[in-house]
Amino acid sequence: MSILAVSDTSPIHRLNPVTKLVFAFSVTVCGFAHTSALWPLALLLLVLLPAIVYAGALRRFTQLLALFSAPVVVALFLVQGFFYPGAERVIAALGPARLSYEGLIFAAQTALHIMVLVASFLFLLLTTSPSRLMSAMTQRGMSPKIVYVISAALQIGPAFAARAQRILQAQQAHGLVIRGLRGRVRALVPLAGPLILGAFTEIGDRAAAMETRAFGVTRRPTSLSGPLPDSTGQRVARAVMILCAAAAVAVNVWGVIR
Amino acid sequence: MIEFKDFTFTYPTGRPAPALRSITMTVRPGTICGVVGADGSGKTTLAAVVSGVSPHLTGGEFSGSVEVCGRPVAGTPMAELATSVGLVRQDPFSQISGARFTVREELAFGLENLAVERDVMRHRVEHVMADVGLSELADRSPYELSGGQQQRLAIGSVLAMRPAVIVLDEPTSQLDAEGSRRVFGILDALKERGVAVLVMEHRLELLARSADQVVVLEDGAVAADGPTREVLGDPRLPEWGVGPLQYTTAARRAAEHGLWDESRPLPVTLETAADGFHQVTHRIPIPAGDQP
Repeated sequence: MSILAVSDTSPIHRLNPVTKLVFAFSVTVCGFAHTSALWPLALLLLVLLPAIVYAGALRRFTQLLALFSAPVVVALFLVQGFFYPGAERVIAALGPARLSYEGLIFAAQTALHIMVLVASFLFLLLTTSPSRLMSAMTQRGMSPKIVYVISAALQIGPAFAARAQRILQAQQAHGLVIRGLRGRVRALVPLAGPLILGAFTEIGDRAAAMETRAFGVTRRPTSLSGPLPDSTGQRVARAVMILCAAAAVAVNVWGVIR
Repeated sequence: MIEFKDFTFTYPTGRPAPALRSITMTVRPGTICGVVGADGSGKTTLAAVVSGVSPHLTGGEFSGSVEVCGRPVAGTPMAELATSVGLVRQDPFSQISGARFTVREELAFGLENLAVERDVMRHRVEHVMADVGLSELADRSPYELSGGQQQRLAIGSVLAMRPAVIVLDEPTSQLDAEGSRRVFGILDALKERGVAVLVMEHRLELLARSADQVVVLEDGAVAADGPTREVLGDPRLPEWGVGPLQYTTAARRAAEHGLWDESRPLPVTLETAADGFHQVTHRIPIPAGDQP
């Protein structure tokens, strides 16, 4: 399942990528600004969910949110729920493990904070063409090297899948038989070594490919996609979101000092 | 223009013997120079040196000089060399930038780095996509392409930058007959535009049709350098680890039986072979019983 947006299907997709980037950062910062579980829950249900529904990406969003959050959430509930230090209100005991009310509350708070973080960036990725996002960053004067690192990171999945496919085909040509789930799991062992080592040796080739295509000749490369649409409304919205995030941080700091 | 003068190069690791030894050769603008040789004869190293990959990225010791478009390769930063030299390497997968998400964007990557204007860039990218036969795949991820399609993408990415010198290391290794002919058709067009083309290629038939000059490498040194017909017709080709052309072999055997005009040079293309055999067969009287 691809995590990257493929086409402009809604007005949200067509927004300037920087607006959505600022939105994702601001929502995340606001989500972490208060320890209460209700605050990130409200952001999830009242801000992120309507935006995702409007973008028409609810199905993939839900699937990916579950995929990325579930392992963390389960681990949190197990560790914090059963082993929360200094818990007083024990709900159930299982040997040394004691399921506590305080532990469950803490786990819920932390899980919701993490879900806001994951959901914000899923919103960004599912509604923004990565090419447009990279172009927007370059046009804003970000170093081409940093932009390259981000886009290469976004492509790490397809690149690894393509490399793994090549290795598997070569191994199958040499007699490796993959049948059933057990066969697939067993095939991972001979695949891992060449996959990782291949990635390391490929760094040199990739560097050569970049250099021979003039990477780094100028700090202001041009862009095939051209200037991205922006508007006064979006500029104002970005300013408001940054102010909201700053206010959330200020409130949080004030709460700590007090 | 590419100019090697008594150039010797040794890699920093591996065997201590030089990978290239006392290379002296010239590739002029508007010509195609084919480089042939057995595996390990130094073809890939030669390509790496012209593009600056060696010694800039690989390291290594060298003596003598290599100049590309009047600039010494060793003294010019690679990114700067990229404005005049394009390199297509053997493995197309490792040439994908990893920074672009579609074929179209991948083709534009070099142009963006050279700060080419958007309209010019679009025009060139569309043109190159048509040339290398990738127009239908413009919006696909480079990682979703087959090996042959990736090879065409690697070639297109370099063509789009329009360098004065193009170096191709086994550009047809993953292409079918039609794809290979298409690539050599493009090289012919580049030659007409005044580009100096250096191509390492083991399919001699393709070189015989397009190359103006062929260089044979043997153990890192130049064993032969001259016009295509002369070098590819040289009877010592098998000694240098290069399989001779079928046409040449057929004509040589025919000559042993008096069935090839000795005054004609040995053929290196299908057309010259057919011409030669046609001339000989018309001289032989057809026995009366075989006449129609």
